[in-house]
Amino acid sequence: MNKTPTPRTQVSHRVRRFLRRTLAVSRKEVAHVSRDPMTLYVALGLPVVLLLIFGYGISFDLDRSPLAVVDYDRTPVSRNLRESLTSSGEFLLAATPDSADDVDSWFRKNEVSSALVIPPGFAANLAAARSAPLQILLDGSDGSKAGGVMGTMSALLRNWAAGIAGPAAASPIEARVTLLYNPGLKSSIFFVPGLMAFILAIAGVLLTALTVAREEEQGNLEQLFATPVGRLDVVLGKLLPYLAMGIVQALLVLAVGAVAFDLPLAGSPFLLAAGTLLFLVAVLSQGLFISVIAHSQQVATQIGALSSLLPSLLLSGFLFPVERMPMPLQVIASIFPSRYFVTFLRGVLLKGSGFSVLWPNLLAMAVFSVLVLAIATKRFRRRVA
Amino acid sequence: MSDAIIQCRNLGRSFGDFHAVRDVSFEVPQGEIFGYLGANGAGKSTTIRILCGLLAPTTGTALVAGFDVAKDPEAVKRHIGYMSQKFSLYTDLTVAENLDFFGGAYGLSGRRLRDSIDKVIEEVGLQDHRRAMTSSLPGGRQQRVALANALLHDPRILFLDEPTAGVDPAARREFLSLVRRRVATGVTVFLTTHYLDEAEYCRRVGLMVAGHLAVLGTPAELKAAHAPGEIRILHGNSALLGAAVRPLPGVHAVQSLGGGIRVRVDATHLPAVLSAARNVAPSLQVEVAEPTLDDVFLAVVQGGLG
Repeated sequence: MNKTPTPRTQVSHRVRRFLRRTLAVSRKEVAHVSRDPMTLYVALGLPVVLLLIFGYGISFDLDRSPLAVVDYDRTPVSRNLRESLTSSGEFLLAATPDSADDVDSWFRKNEVSSALVIPPGFAANLAAARSAPLQILLDGSDGSKAGGVMGTMSALLRNWAAGIAGPAAASPIEARVTLLYNPGLKSSIFFVPGLMAFILAIAGVLLTALTVAREEEQGNLEQLFATPVGRLDVVLGKLLPYLAMGIVQALLVLAVGAVAFDLPLAGSPFLLAAGTLLFLVAVLSQGLFISVIAHSQQVATQIGALSSLLPSLLLSGFLFPVERMPMPLQVIASIFPSRYFVTFLRGVLLKGSGFSVLWPNLLAMAVFSVLVLAIATKRFRRRVA
Repeated sequence: MSDAIIQCRNLGRSFGDFHAVRDVSFEVPQGEIFGYLGANGAGKSTTIRILCGLLAPTTGTALVAGFDVAKDPEAVKRHIGYMSQKFSLYTDLTVAENLDFFGGAYGLSGRRLRDSIDKVIEEVGLQDHRRAMTSSLPGGRQQRVALANALLHDPRILFLDEPTAGVDPAARREFLSLVRRRVATGVTVFLTTHYLDEAEYCRRVGLMVAGHLAVLGTPAELKAAHAPGEIRILHGNSALLGAAVRPLPGVHAVQSLGGGIRVRVDATHLPAVLSAARNVAPSLQVEVAEPTLDDVFLAVVQGGLG
């Protein structure tokens, strides 16, 4: 520090004292963390574990879905159809019952999740360019899986039909659907940005939710407020080290996303960094706010877990589109920063959208942070004095 | 205006309907050890927290080190050191880390901070425990860490809220001698305690009863005013002696001891009391004792002065 006594204005003297005190709080916080392996785990281990579990766990992609094929036609064409379905990797030929009546027992035993019935005369119908119906049986007890199977199978069937009949013979009306940004419609690509928001929200809120509540419980706040330390010193001093941890955490999650789930970065890395930083500040502030209003660590943990988990899981657009929610839920959803971060991440990672498109999300996260930090700071001293 | 370093005028603090402190006025000149006595819940801690700027008074004013505690608590805090009732440093940090943090909280840094830490650690004799985890230290040493912490920024006033509660007598004595060494350098100490022997170290003593400052003065003044008379310890059967002595005129207080009674009586009635005692205990042994603050405390509390 500056040792030569130079004339300073009152203001710069105050700023210097403020910075010293803030830095002292930060240093202390680092010392606490270094003594508490649990915090490090929440900061660095938990996000990666969650990302891997959820990333691999939540997938609507078909992978070797067991399929039964009942081939009444028994022609080279029908065999060719069967092979083209099962060679793609989405379907696995699990059974070839002789009769459609037998399919039911395979479904009941849970050994197949879909069945294709090729009626007699299928090849002949095709050759004569007549309508050639096929029957597809689906296990409706798992709705989302059935939907996925149906979509995938109809796509494969269309491709196959186009392949053998040639483009000239294609049906007169054909919808040509092109999926943008996620060509394979891999669900992981779509989920991982939402998942990141979810994980960073939980880990971020939990990091700071205990810091003030613990000090209150242990009587440290009394001693702390007997010093000239201001509430803003404490709030900012506590925020900074956790923000540093949050940055490492976010980088880790992005790296795992890129390596394990082939997550692209279509947009600007600087924009990604700016948005992520804002989101981290927002969730850490949320945690601090909870820590200030809760009077015990137990209450802080519960409020922290609920207020980070539920909105970022259900109201962020991660799993369910916010636009289709009833109005009151949309209003609640628009309070929490994860909603904006999910939109932001999908934009910058998948679509390559720029600042001109994504700025409202950044603004919303900034407003949330400032408001929550201001309330946390305001509530702080009042409770002690 | 007096030059007292602590000035309270009609200070009061209520929590809802409960008046924890009411209409308390006193002054403490610089360099004095001021003892604040009272039972638990009498308003000692509330007073000390108001004076430290931790709690706003609901009525009255208090000037500490020249600053109004209600209007400029930050300035007050810069000039005082505070040790709260419960050990409230960070137990998961080492001694040095605690001092480092609180020094920073007082705005110290760099060379000045390091020098201050070295100085107070040496002052309280914890050089060998700098790197010790605070939680691993026994109670007496923890108190000394807290004292070092309160002294770090060279405060003009030390507020000690029952600093020696739960500490063994040897550690208590050691602690008080550390405090007195600071007082010799001009520091003012405001001490709350319910150890009445500790109050004997104080230059002046205030006694709180149910939120009121009931009496205030030097220990000698208080004893003269509130515990007048002669103190005698009469050895023998305490039940018999007590029954014989208690109804006599001039007897202010009778306490049963293990092997006898302790009686406070006006000098003029002393011979009558002694002869009455000899009637029930022919071979009576009499011991002369001095009045203590216990006598004052009992007289004030029982006398309904509160």
